[in-house]
Amino acid sequence: MNFFETLFPVLETKFNVEKDASAHWDHSVIAKASVLRDLIIFLRDDESSKMEMLLDVVGIDYLGFQDYEGPRFAVEYVFKSISHPGRRVRVKVFVSEQDLEVPTISDLYPIANWQEREVYDQYGILFKDHPDLRRILNHVEFEGHPLRKDYPAHRRQWLSTNDFLLPALEKRLESKGYKVVQHSKEVLPNEDEYLTGSIQE
Amino acid sequence: MKVIAPNGDKLNLMPLNVGPSHGATHGCLRYFCALDGESIVATVGEIGYLHRGFEKMAERGTWQQVVPYTDRLNYCSAMMNNIAYCRAVENMFQMELPERTKILRVIINELSRMADHCICVAAAAQDLGSTTGFFYLFDSREMMMVIWEKLTGARLTNSYSRIGGLYRDTYDGFEEDVLAVCKQAEKNLRDVHACFDRNRIFLDRTVGIGAMKPERAIQWGWTGPCLRATGVASDLRKDEPYYDYETYDWNVVTGTAGDVYDRLMVRLAEIEESIKIVRQALKRLTPGPIDIMDPRIRVPSHALAYQDIESLIGRFKSVYEGVRVPAGEYYCGSEAANGELGFTLVSDGSGKPWRVKVRPPCFTQFAAFQELVEGSMLTDSVATLSSINIIAGELDR
Amino acid sequence: MTPEAREGNIFTSSLDFLVNWGRKNSLWPFPYGTACCAIEFMSTETARYDLSRIGSEYVRFTPRQSDVLLVAGTITYKQAPILKRIYEQMAEPRWVIAMGACACSGGFYDCYCTVPGIDHIIPVDVYIGGCPPRPESFFDAMFDLQKKVEDESYMKQRAERLKDQIEDIKRKSKECREDLILRKNEACEMVSNTVRSKVNDVLDVFPFKKGR
Ligand code: SF4
Repeated sequence: MNFFETLFPVLETKFNVEKDASAHWDHSVIAKASVLRDLIIFLRDDESSKMEMLLDVVGIDYLGFQDYEGPRFAVEYVFKSISHPGRRVRVKVFVSEQDLEVPTISDLYPIANWQEREVYDQYGILFKDHPDLRRILNHVEFEGHPLRKDYPAHRRQWLSTNDFLLPALEKRLESKGYKVVQHSKEVLPNEDEYLTGSIQE
Repeated sequence: MKVIAPNGDKLNLMPLNVGPSHGATHGCLRYFCALDGESIVATVGEIGYLHRGFEKMAERGTWQQVVPYTDRLNYCSAMMNNIAYCRAVENMFQMELPERTKILRVIINELSRMADHCICVAAAAQDLGSTTGFFYLFDSREMMMVIWEKLTGARLTNSYSRIGGLYRDTYDGFEEDVLAVCKQAEKNLRDVHACFDRNRIFLDRTVGIGAMKPERAIQWGWTGPCLRATGVASDLRKDEPYYDYETYDWNVVTGTAGDVYDRLMVRLAEIEESIKIVRQALKRLTPGPIDIMDPRIRVPSHALAYQDIESLIGRFKSVYEGVRVPAGEYYCGSEAANGELGFTLVSDGSGKPWRVKVRPPCFTQFAAFQELVEGSMLTDSVATLSSINIIAGELDR
Repeated sequence: MTPEAREGNIFTSSLDFLVNWGRKNSLWPFPYGTACCAIEFMSTETARYDLSRIGSEYVRFTPRQSDVLLVAGTITYKQAPILKRIYEQMAEPRWVIAMGACACSGGFYDCYCTVPGIDHIIPVDVYIGGCPPRPESFFDAMFDLQKKVEDESYMKQRAERLKDQIEDIKRKSKECREDLILRKNEACEMVSNTVRSKVNDVLDVFPFKKGR
């Protein structure tokens, strides 16, 4: 018997999830944002599922989707099990345009950190309590979220400076227990001072 | 940058930027590290320098028109991406491919895997200072390029696969060419092993460097050779076999320590396994159709289109409107050279994809890069970076 | 004539010819490789195509030591300032090759994040079409560039450079002179009439007097 047929009733009673009607070829459940973290902890740790690997976090924009009514965005988590090869589950959360907020799972899966940053960058969905919600693929001066359906593909945005990583580095140092005493400044050096470099004490 | 370490030491760290245009970063990525002397205390990575908008572009064309874009994801093994994408769409139709197509796809998959591993190890060899190894490995790759040119007309970005078939059948003498490549690749592999296996410099610079624990690798979402190098025998070709991979006789290669040495050696050993598969597949290759006979999916051939009106209309519609993929959502992963290449597809039943999301294998590997290099020397970060095989095209899409 | 010259060990040439001959046969590229085209450039370097045949095997990864900036691959807006910076860091004379459709025009990435051709950022000498261009077409571009280098005149460039310098010197001396007149007037007002004539005498010795 398919593992999902035994797993789903458990999830249904515990977390009140629904089957995703659009998943004809694999297994997907729709969950509420409020139970998302508990659901994912259960999926990760419980013997019956053991979804140890988070493969992807996908954002979807349903603006203008055929015959569709409901919240505009969805975030989809793709899981796979390593101890039981061949078992995969997707978890989908709908996000409405008004609140745009999903709890982060970056403390459960370290890789979710970057993947959530990507969804934020492309769709503007905020991940609550995310440690470092910055843009990842687009540059710092980018305005808007390019993968939303109402962002025209041709709207180009020039970058005038460079993107500075010093604040991120200091954050990383602090997370490792270092205390930054003296903060440096990263600047864009002009023609005359290129020999002094872009980091200034 | 003056800091106080957790143990109370006062340190003066030097911030150092590597990339995005740097000889060792193979494409465009950047990491910014804080150095204490020559060892890395902390580092942060930055990507997106090659973000070309694959996903936005894919939403604009038809399903078939996405195929050339997939070429440019992992451009070292372009045809493998075509096949992974086409397989995902074909699974949504739940179609059964002709036998010959399956075997040809296996052969091409494995040849691409060999080419990809060749590039990865060659670039790593060059970064470690062994230009000879670089030339040996590129030699067999060039031979494969010749085959691809004859087969598809292009050297690098081939777009060979189509939804429901292949672009065209093989040419006369394809089998002999492939066998010759296999033979040459084996010879080159022997040479490369002679270069590396007892080479003190190579061993000193790779053994025990940038090691990763299997549990941590799974948490980071590593797949492919990098995960197998840590000792986890996870390979989609065995776990969820497709294209009859389970009927071929080959082994999953695993490492033990998960360090740079293991990652490179797993790749070299996988080339050998691929040669095995290619040899077996060539024996099974029998003449037959390569496309499924369904004008709604696969474009009718020119010969038919000139003869009857139905095929002409079919041809027109499939170019103009595109393949109508059934509405729904689907994730499908295939074992690419670098790991699991997954496509999340959302279809609204029309001829254009609503959403195509790629799950690039090296995204997860580069996300874990800081864990690999923190605490090691700056020079080791170069070796580590080349061993995890970051391809900027699929990293940033 | 010295005996060596009579034996045919000396030839005469123009300085332009000699300098260009040297320049064109050792064009050191800086591969700014970002994407797929960079892989094709790697093939160009290797044994089958062998870039060293035309004296370009010395691929430098620092802009300060290279002559040709080889932009191979897509340039996105996030990279554009970096590319510009690298171009500015290269020493004169410098040339730029745009390799591949992406570098020439944006290629088939017509999107919110790709620069439609690097000529929006830096000047380009040779464009190579193709996605990716074959190694042969890369060589073709190198030969074109060599022809271009051949036609350049070192002496003309030198005159041009000197012209700038001379302009520069002129500008500086003008500033200097104005400054001097100002100071002289100030000084004149401060000192008495008797001293004034002496100051005039001293200042008249200064070479810029004529322009007054
Ligand atoms: S021109 Fe083609 S091959 Fe070259 S970088 Fe652009 S997409 Fe890649």
